[in-house]
Amino acid sequence: MRKLVLIPICFFALAVPVVVLANGVSGGFDQVVSSIETRYHVHADRIPLLGLVNFMARASTHDGVRGMHVAEIEGFEADVDGEELNKLVAEKLGPGWERVIRETSRHGGDQTLIFMRPEGSRMGMFVLDLGGHEMDVVQMSVDPEHLSEKIGKYERHERE
Amino acid sequence: MKNRVAVWVLGLAGLTAAVAPAVAQSSLPLPSPVEKELAARASNVTEVTLGKNMLAFAAKFLDGKDKDDEATRHLIEGLDGIYVRSYEFDKEGQYSLDEVDKLRAYFGTGGEWSSIVRERDKKSGESTDVMMKMVNGSPHGLFVLDAEPRELSIVLILGPVKMEDLSRLSGIGGLGVLGDLDPESHGNGNKNKDKFEKDKAKAPKAKTGGEE
Repeated sequence: MRKLVLIPICFFALAVPVVVLANGVSGGFDQVVSSIETRYHVHADRIPLLGLVNFMARASTHDGVRGMHVAEIEGFEADVDGEELNKLVAEKLGPGWERVIRETSRHGGDQTLIFMRPEGSRMGMFVLDLGGHEMDVVQMSVDPEHLSEKIGKYERHERE
Repeated sequence: MKNRVAVWVLGLAGLTAAVAPAVAQSSLPLPSPVEKELAARASNVTEVTLGKNMLAFAAKFLDGKDKDDEATRHLIEGLDGIYVRSYEFDKEGQYSLDEVDKLRAYFGTGGEWSSIVRERDKKSGESTDVMMKMVNGSPHGLFVLDAEPRELSIVLILGPVKMEDLSRLSGIGGLGVLGDLDPESHGNGNKNKDKFEKDKAKAPKAKTGGEE
């Protein structure tokens, strides 16, 4: 009986920090996604169990990557004005974010926006990519030193 | 498509690593009014803007355990900012020489800038300008304006940058044009080697180089 009580307690003990951490940086992200949904009349699919994915990503990269948010919009048919999309994202992301890369095509509807924001020793990254009829929106917080160490480890392993 | 996002994310990490350093975003120029007009006409526009913060972040991706990484990290950490714009057009004649002149004037008006390469091809209408900012006799910035019939590219790098280090940055998105400027590189680079050495020698005194 005791074990049966412990299971839900452990579950909540793990789930609460996962959910809290996952939502920590979601304010801007959610606003961007819902604004896109409203503006272009599309529906974004959230990745199920992303909190768990986050937890695993964080553990496996030794905190190199955390706070991951992903939204996928399929069947994106609307015409996109690159300048308007850029403004919408910049406005909804909020202050502190700097756009580092923007790639926009007038005809094809391909749009890529990458924003970054310093978060102490970490860096927030926001990526929006529209290609064909699919748009992907990703946000995460990256620790370059830990991530670099991890990437270096895999590179060395591959060379060997 | 997910792969594409992953490529972008990893590419940016690599790019930042390759590009890196150091000028406050505020020290980078605001886009010139001409650029807005060009962007409206272009079929594809690529913009890369890396301020000091972003470059410092990029530098952290280089662990400095190997010599090349260490050198690139130093280069990136010393930079103040990188500004790249590339405009691709559907057909020729989508921009005028007047607009190219305006861009040149907008970015290269300061007295510290010296022209080290000025290439004009009257037949094709192509032109290339490379200008270097000299501060106390040392290079402190590089500006490249490359105009082809259907493409216009602008690269501005602020901070101490040596010609021999340029190839280290050429892996960064939009900076591929720098590979051609590297005097040590093979292929087309060799074509430029003599010109570079010649132009480097006269750089400090020449505001504009010779027309070819």
